[in-house]
Amino acid sequence: AWLGVRLAISVSLLFTASAVFEDQVGKFDWRQQFIGKVRFALFDTHSQASKKLLVATDKNVFASLNSRTGDLFWRHLDKTGPEGHLDSLLMYGQDAVVVVGNGRLLRSWETTVGGLKWETVLDTGSFKAAALVGVQDLVKYVAVLKKTAISLHDLSSGGQIWVENLPDSDTVQYQTIYSEGNGLVFVLGLVPNSHVVIVEYKIEDGEIMNKKSIQAAWMSSLESSCAVISSGILLCVDQITQSLYTLPLQSVEQKEMKQIHLQTLDLEVASGFQPVLTSTQPNPAQPPLAEFFLQLNPDHHILLQLKDGLIAPLRDFNPSNLVAFATTGEKTVAAVMSPKNETACSINLFSADTGRRHLDTTIIYHLDPNVGKPNKLYVHAFLKKDDSVGYRVMVQSEDHTLTFLQQPGRVVWMREEALADVVTMEMVDLPLTGTQAELEGEFGKKAVVTDGLLPMVLKRLSSQFILLQAWLAHLWKLFYDARKPRSSVKNDEVTIENLSRDEFNLQKMMVMVTASGKLFGIDSKSGAILWRHYLENIQPNSGFKLMVQRSTAHFPHPPQCTLLIKDKDIGLASLHVFNPIFGKKSHSSVPALPRPILQTLLLPIIDQDYAKVLLLIDDQYKVTAFPSTKNILQQLQDTASSIYFYLVDSSQGKLSGFRLRKDLSTELIWEVVIPTEVQKIVAVKGKRGNEHVHSQGRVMGDRSVLYKYLNPNLLAVVTESTDTHQERSFVGIFLIDGVTGRIVHEAVQRKARGPVHFVHSENWVVYVYWNSKFRRNEFSVLELFEGAELYNSTVFSSLDRPRPPQVLQQSYIFPAGISTLEATLTEKGITSRHLLVGLPSGSILSLPKLFLDPRRPEVVSEQTREENLIPYAPEMPIRTEWFINYNQTVSRVRGIHTAPSGLESTCLVVAYGLDIYQTRVFPSKQFDVLKDDYDYVLISSVLFGLFFATMISKRLAEVKLLNRAWR
Amino acid sequence: MHMNHCLRVWVVLLGLHVTISHEVTNDVTHEGDKDDVRSEDVKFQVLGRAVVPGVRTHDWISSARVLLDGDKHVGFLRSDGGFSVSDVPSGSYVLDISSPTYRFQPVRVDISSTGKIRARVLNYIKTSEVIQLPYPLQMRYAGPHSYFIQRETWGWSDFFMNPMVYMMVLPLLIIVLLPKVINPSDPEMQREVEQSMNMLNPNTELPDVSELMTKFFSPPKSQKKPGGGTRVPKGGGPGQKGGGPRRRVKG
Repeated sequence: AWLGVRLAISVSLLFTASAVFEDQVGKFDWRQQFIGKVRFALFDTHSQASKKLLVATDKNVFASLNSRTGDLFWRHLDKTGPEGHLDSLLMYGQDAVVVVGNGRLLRSWETTVGGLKWETVLDTGSFKAAALVGVQDLVKYVAVLKKTAISLHDLSSGGQIWVENLPDSDTVQYQTIYSEGNGLVFVLGLVPNSHVVIVEYKIEDGEIMNKKSIQAAWMSSLESSCAVISSGILLCVDQITQSLYTLPLQSVEQKEMKQIHLQTLDLEVASGFQPVLTSTQPNPAQPPLAEFFLQLNPDHHILLQLKDGLIAPLRDFNPSNLVAFATTGEKTVAAVMSPKNETACSINLFSADTGRRHLDTTIIYHLDPNVGKPNKLYVHAFLKKDDSVGYRVMVQSEDHTLTFLQQPGRVVWMREEALADVVTMEMVDLPLTGTQAELEGEFGKKAVVTDGLLPMVLKRLSSQFILLQAWLAHLWKLFYDARKPRSSVKNDEVTIENLSRDEFNLQKMMVMVTASGKLFGIDSKSGAILWRHYLENIQPNSGFKLMVQRSTAHFPHPPQCTLLIKDKDIGLASLHVFNPIFGKKSHSSVPALPRPILQTLLLPIIDQDYAKVLLLIDDQYKVTAFPSTKNILQQLQDTASSIYFYLVDSSQGKLSGFRLRKDLSTELIWEVVIPTEVQKIVAVKGKRGNEHVHSQGRVMGDRSVLYKYLNPNLLAVVTESTDTHQERSFVGIFLIDGVTGRIVHEAVQRKARGPVHFVHSENWVVYVYWNSKFRRNEFSVLELFEGAELYNSTVFSSLDRPRPPQVLQQSYIFPAGISTLEATLTEKGITSRHLLVGLPSGSILSLPKLFLDPRRPEVVSEQTREENLIPYAPEMPIRTEWFINYNQTVSRVRGIHTAPSGLESTCLVVAYGLDIYQTRVFPSKQFDVLKDDYDYVLISSVLFGLFFATMISKRLAEVKLLNRAWR
Repeated sequence: MHMNHCLRVWVVLLGLHVTISHEVTNDVTHEGDKDDVRSEDVKFQVLGRAVVPGVRTHDWISSARVLLDGDKHVGFLRSDGGFSVSDVPSGSYVLDISSPTYRFQPVRVDISSTGKIRARVLNYIKTSEVIQLPYPLQMRYAGPHSYFIQRETWGWSDFFMNPMVYMMVLPLLIIVLLPKVINPSDPEMQREVEQSMNMLNPNTELPDVSELMTKFFSPPKSQKKPGGGTRVPKGGGPGQKGGGPRRRVKG
């Protein structure tokens, strides 16, 4: 019974093991929410005081931002992939209409609340355009153009008014819709290099009022070269003929487009540049303005006006990078960004109808080399009290950064949207402070050799003195701050200069690599971005691998990270070497990599500068070493026979193992072929290099020891069947020794399919798959043991292990979906392990590894109780107390990075996906530090109480003794 | 006879079929194509409603989503609490409402290939068990999420419930109260107490440990006590400190 109680206690302890206390909220965790690369952005101009900015992004996110602070009001995440793709965003009043999934769904949102107003399923057909349609100054409908049909929907209910097939849709490419509130909807189509087709629909019933085709042999695309301006005049531009063409949409008599040579306007389009027309229609129920921008080359725009059938230039902007129209009230303005000097651009406001510059409207935009070139301008215009036009601008850059500026150039907020797509990351220890470093430097090798005894003593004294000085300065600062009123004391802002390691090494530098090629250095304590570095010319689908070659431990050598950037299409790779603390590119010479790189290997061999050597294996199995100093090459030659590596070719289902030769060539040692007709290799994972295993075995109930099979060379290979039929699909897992190629174990999960998430650590592999028979996710755990005795307890050699390990396996039902899986990691591996499971809801579950133990008994016995094994239960519990991120959900979590801290109890966790969340977890509670709520008052009052009680009782005893003596 | 009848029916049917196909061959093939498309591509809509009692929908729907099988299909909530998940192919799904604040009971939704939808209680262990739920779905609100555990707070009740405190307080009470209850000057009582003391300490021969210790560490004297210090060698210096006392106690 006592054992039972103990078990109950230990289980209940376990339940609270990694939960969060309410007062810990925000103490050591933070979350940053992102939206992705903005595709559409609209300012709410419905009312002057409105702060809303609606955005739709390439991450299928539709959100409302506070334009004063850049924070999110609300955010909605649609399906990932093309089915949730946001095709178009329209806004009228309080409602925003979004077309989703290539014209599959039409949704209307209430922008103040963030709730759905209505949703309509549209007919199939690829989406072309959508527009708001007004009747008599009121916008009542929304028209959606598909490849073969046009439909009109009611704006308030989403109900379909009518749907009409487009005439000759198999030959004509319909591309745009235009309406100006006169009861008609125009659909513009094109037969490339032949003619333009214009179809007029009546709004009430969808009847075709008129249909005509106009010769335009020069035109290849309507969308990119045409715009509608001034009461229904189609305006097109052609680079080859260097001309503008106009055509009134409604005219019956005009049978061809009127050509206006650009020469007559003294203009010329740069050769090879597709000129762009920008027009504006402030109110969908009214015709657009007669003014428009023509972009002649990448940095030359011109504002033109159509008046009485004639086109006249209003103002020439040369040079100018970006232009945008904005309307407030009745006034329409144009904002133009032009380069000012090398480091800044200026944005100015011009009235659209005259081209006259508004006075005192300059905004200076500073070009940051780490931000990328600006490529889009969004303008929010508003009327000031004196009826003049004021404005703010949002600048979008190549690296997806959004910068919101107001006059005269103050950055109101900035969003680093590149962080919405983090690919890989590392956590690097912060450097020591100057004084600490001084003390460390004293024990440098050179110092001991050259200096004698006396200088060493003097050095020690001086460094101690410096420490004392620093401490006094710190005390003085504390005292000084305490005297000041609280409000004026600023929070210690973290900058690169005052970064230093804390006593438990809890604060680290998070080096994050994003898909857009932008690197970030983020302080793990506050989440502040300390440095950013934009790598230009990164192909959109590049692969990245980040390695820490030298940590901060080798003062005075700076830490060094190496990023391998691999172009996935051609396989060529390049290296970017940088200092992870400051983000600066290192000057060390990087080897040229003329051949595609297949595999990289970071070896523990170090050169005189303490940088680990990185081996790069190319497609001819030649090895390049970086750094490749003489010392390194010598060391490599000495140890070459014990350096093995493996290559995976999933297209041929081949795993092969190689050994390094002394001349840095390689020889093939083993090859495992997994036939691709049946199954394909999905993933291969070794163990993490920085993982420590504290105990070699497990103590059983009968006091014997079951030794773990701790093979550092073990690879876990996951395969999925090519047959995806529910009955025949399977998931396979192979455990292969990376040195000998021996298959240590294989397991097959029938009637299962991927995606498989798995963790390979210590002596176990945990993997998750979808059970297609029972339609549920299942966890399976494999644990490997050597048995009751260890073959060679001092060193593990793959070549000398005669007995195969004992493998235990158990599976469990997991009652939720899974996005990602990772295990906690601590400094020495003493703390019990937890699995961190990212759920589709955005929560991160911390699941004790104790629940995933293949030795969990079905029948409880005295011995299993002694071992604290939890009885087997098929369903894995999910408790909301185990959610380490409480209500701070991490949307679309794609990866979890765990790193040890200086405290054995504490593991640092970063979850990234669309959002980034950083926290600390304590899998076995905080056993090595005092708890947050440690009651200092109680303990000191008890101490004082006891002290006084002793004093008083001593005195009383004395008195009593004296009295007795007198008696 | 029966066979004959059957055959005749078949022939008639075939004849009919032939005539029809003769007339509208083109249309038939076209329809066939369409049917093929439908069996694979037809998508359905799952409808339902979710309400948190006592909370205005405006306050929570902007952070909530309707998820079908993880985030394979996504739906959003309207201000009346209603939702629809569009474009769902036939199959069996788990529908859940994900909200950072409120919890709802997930439901299994089965969509047949003809578009018939039924909802049932989610059971991961007995997956074929059917306990039907109303459709359109009425999501059951299961209370707010409890993410936090309570701190152990110190209270007087904890103090008094602690067994250690009892162990401290009871002897104290006995020491203070017993002399008050029992009159020590009463000779009868004195005897009784003495007796009980003897019972408590039956082996008076056994020496007191503390006494032994003091003796052992004090400089050696040729003092003898019953219970035997005799067997201890005179040179029992510091080197044998560890062994000494134990042996004595045994003796």
